[in-house]
Amino acid sequence: MIDFDFTDEQRALRDVARDLFAKQSPPSLIRERWKGERDPKLWRALAEVGLLGVIVPEQYGGSGGDEVDLALVLEEAGRAALPEPFVETVVASRLIELHGSKVLSESWLPGIARGEVVATVGLETDPFVAYADVADLVVLIDTSGARLLTRDDVKAKPVRSQDPARPLFAVESKRGERLNLTTPLSRAAAAVASVQLGIARRLLEMTVDYAKDRKQFGKPVGSFQAVKHKLARVHTAIEDARPSAWYAAYAFARDLPDAARAASVAKVAASGAEAMANAEALQCHGGIGFTWEHDLHIWLKRGLALQPAFGTPAEHRAMLAREEAADA
Amino acid sequence: MHQAIFEEEYLLADGPERVNVVGEKLMGRTLMKHGTDEQRARWLPRILSAEDVWSQGFSEPDAGSDLANVQTKALREGDEWIVDGQKIWTSYGAFADWIFVLVRTDPNAERHRGLSFLAVDMRSDGVEARPIVQLDGHAGFAEVFFTSVRVPVSQTIGDANDGWTVALSTLGFERDAPARPAARYERDLRELIAVARARDVWDDPVVRDAIGGLAARVETYRLHTLRTLTRLQRGESIGDDASVTKLLWSELERDIYEYGMSLLGPYAGALSDTPAAASFDTRYWYARAATIYAGTSEIQNNIVAERILGLPR
Repeated sequence: MIDFDFTDEQRALRDVARDLFAKQSPPSLIRERWKGERDPKLWRALAEVGLLGVIVPEQYGGSGGDEVDLALVLEEAGRAALPEPFVETVVASRLIELHGSKVLSESWLPGIARGEVVATVGLETDPFVAYADVADLVVLIDTSGARLLTRDDVKAKPVRSQDPARPLFAVESKRGERLNLTTPLSRAAAAVASVQLGIARRLLEMTVDYAKDRKQFGKPVGSFQAVKHKLARVHTAIEDARPSAWYAAYAFARDLPDAARAASVAKVAASGAEAMANAEALQCHGGIGFTWEHDLHIWLKRGLALQPAFGTPAEHRAMLAREEAADA
Repeated sequence: MHQAIFEEEYLLADGPERVNVVGEKLMGRTLMKHGTDEQRARWLPRILSAEDVWSQGFSEPDAGSDLANVQTKALREGDEWIVDGQKIWTSYGAFADWIFVLVRTDPNAERHRGLSFLAVDMRSDGVEARPIVQLDGHAGFAEVFFTSVRVPVSQTIGDANDGWTVALSTLGFERDAPARPAARYERDLRELIAVARARDVWDDPVVRDAIGGLAARVETYRLHTLRTLTRLQRGESIGDDASVTKLLWSELERDIYEYGMSLLGPYAGALSDTPAAASFDTRYWYARAATIYAGTSEIQNNIVAERILGLPR
């Protein structure tokens, strides 16, 4: 019996996240964040409904769930273009836990679950780390593990960011604490893939709504096949990619040997779907989509920002080809 | 589920295409859904044993993408239909024992409502099949002409004048995941890598990038089929989502073989003395047909846009 689906509880959690993000993180709030104003209320709200502790073990104040429990929530975070280091914090909490030091878990995980500790994740090889300004913890990943840095270990210099609701920082850091981990980059990539699919879905939803409404030549532009086929292709690409993000989550939750490969598949597929949604959303919106005033670019820019996050699609394709070479 | 496991192993073992796929995957499943007990008892065992080879008779010269425009007509005379008309691109039509056809039984009804789905013995008087040579040189499909062919009314699948519903089920089976197991693409990918090695370009990063991208698509398609199997096991209807699946496999197949041709470089123009498998050329051309048969990509995109996304007609 194959059971490639979510449970009712997992769907209920998705609905909780969707409602919360819709109410507490509307585009107007994201635009506030663009101005550099971060209202900590949103983060507290995430903690209150338990979203920050979904994958924190119960003994540290979380609900002891796994990556599969989070997959749909991460899609919703993308759909909302949540202007917070949500995916970064949940990935960081898992990496801290997986290192296996009781002391570290006791020090940080309860605070993360309660919303008192904000964390972010970056790559040693990347020039920038997102959200380093608000992070109490920074986890810097390399090929065989990571370094855990606290606020005092880090000097973060802001850079001008494409997506001001996901601000980037050039980080100078002290040594920090070494975390021994297998495939930390793949874990982060798998989580980000789900976020990308949420972004893609939102871009498609906005564009379908617009195409039904906007009239040219006396008809809705969505009645023209040239437009229909673009949007059908975006839908198909998203539905193609979603099971791969779900499977990557499952592979990490169950510690399967093909988890890293699954993460690369998910990152390649989700990045491809999001890039297609990004391109066609703007094209089908026409001029209005190219304005600052229209909300479309909230998602266009988040989508752009996440393409290279935790391995570019090209890097993940290269990893997949290496795996094929090893198998063949 | 057992069927899916069988198909995977069959393909990984490089089993040949089975002559009765139309019977197995289309007529068999259509009978399971719409057939009477008598019809199932009559045809299903002979489909499984491949005693009856089936052909698909949907398209006509003026009914391709616009399938509801079928003109082949069947008039009721007592317990028989009298069928007159022409079908084309009938898969396996050159040597099949039976053919299922979509015919017009009520010329006055709205065009989707006046159709019926009939099973016709190819050895009946008045049936003539003329093989059509495909562009790859093989003669797989045929034109089939019907001249006053008498078909017992008991061979109507589903209700008379409700053939469109039955045909949509058949098309759904043809488009959906169980008809196109992912294992064949895993096998094809291994073949591309073998070609890349033989051509000494496997270490080229541009080749690696393309193969890595195709490997991701093969795997996403495999996972997509598992999601579909989960839904089918629960008795869910796949409905219009089969169009998403059809777009995925047909374009994956096309892209794999197009890339294979580009890997072959100067050997792409040769039908012998190449580093590719003997059947590569046939499979390449057949992959080019994949975006046409079972409903073109353009039709699938219309279905996705109108019925799934709700865009106006």
